[in-house]
Amino acid sequence: MKRKKLISAGIIVVVVAGIIITGAIGFYMFNMPHRNVQSAKTDYQLTATALVAEYLENAGAANEKYLASDGDSKIMEVTGTVNKISENYAGKKVIILKGENDKAGVSCTFNGEVNVPSLGTTVTAKGEINAGASYDTDMELYQDVVLNNCTLVN
Amino acid sequence: MKRISLILSIILLSVATTTFAQATGKLKTTKTHIKFFSTTPAENIEANNYASVSVLNTETGEGVFSVPMQSFEFEKALMQKHFNSDKFLDTKAFPKAKLKGKITNISEIDFSKDGVYTAKVSGDLTIKGKTNPINETGTVTVKGNTVTVTSKFNIALADYGITFVKGKPSSNIAKTVEVTVHSEYQQE
Repeated sequence: MKRKKLISAGIIVVVVAGIIITGAIGFYMFNMPHRNVQSAKTDYQLTATALVAEYLENAGAANEKYLASDGDSKIMEVTGTVNKISENYAGKKVIILKGENDKAGVSCTFNGEVNVPSLGTTVTAKGEINAGASYDTDMELYQDVVLNNCTLVN
Repeated sequence: MKRISLILSIILLSVATTTFAQATGKLKTTKTHIKFFSTTPAENIEANNYASVSVLNTETGEGVFSVPMQSFEFEKALMQKHFNSDKFLDTKAFPKAKLKGKITNISEIDFSKDGVYTAKVSGDLTIKGKTNPINETGTVTVKGNTVTVTSKFNIALADYGITFVKGKPSSNIAKTVEVTVHSEYQQE
């Protein structure tokens, strides 16, 4: 009799704990924050010239290497010459790093405040890659590599 | 004599360059905003993309948007992960979407005169490797050297092979999603 009670109490405890854990995981998953690109480990360090060349050489292989299927793609530190500085529709700074003789550059959208570097200086930006460089036949122009959530690295 | 020929050549050169600039009439911008909006009784979901590149030819009316799909930002990280996954947009396999259209009433739009013009757009939208025709209207606003294009239209996700039959996504994501396109070009 005592044992029966103990077992049923045990079952109740397990079930309740299960419900709480499942709920907590579900709640966490639903409210999971975006990853912090700045504090995350850098996956690749390279120059804007090298990254653009890699994409123009073989976009498929580069996508395979850098893009993640859940959108949390590789975190890059790209070094290059500041070619253009602008602001996007959301009011965020966009800096294009581009080698002098390159057909395309690397477009870095910055999060929050940024000490805007001068044109022609060489800087390193850390950000997550969204898309690669390619030649667009409809536009008849080269498209830049897209990095988002960028910060400048000293 | 020398001076005259110099003046002449300057005039010729400036005529040539202006004619050339007019002949191409191709405006390019990265100042763009593309929004997806889905509404169901369960919830509203919004995703914003500020990283698209667009070209507009003011002579022919041809316009192109190239959209990096992983640049869509959601409030909730989990939704963004779902959006990118191979069950939905499969952005690793299809990193870019493309809107290729033509303003069919381009002759009614005077890019040298300030005003708000209605543009009839027909073209193709390619998402996840599937292309469907679109026929929509948009607005072209000319103000000084700035040309702004906006358009809002609906797309059926099933047309692009995006289907979900069970679970939360099927009840929380609308079958038809509203797309808003916004771009701003600078004329020379």
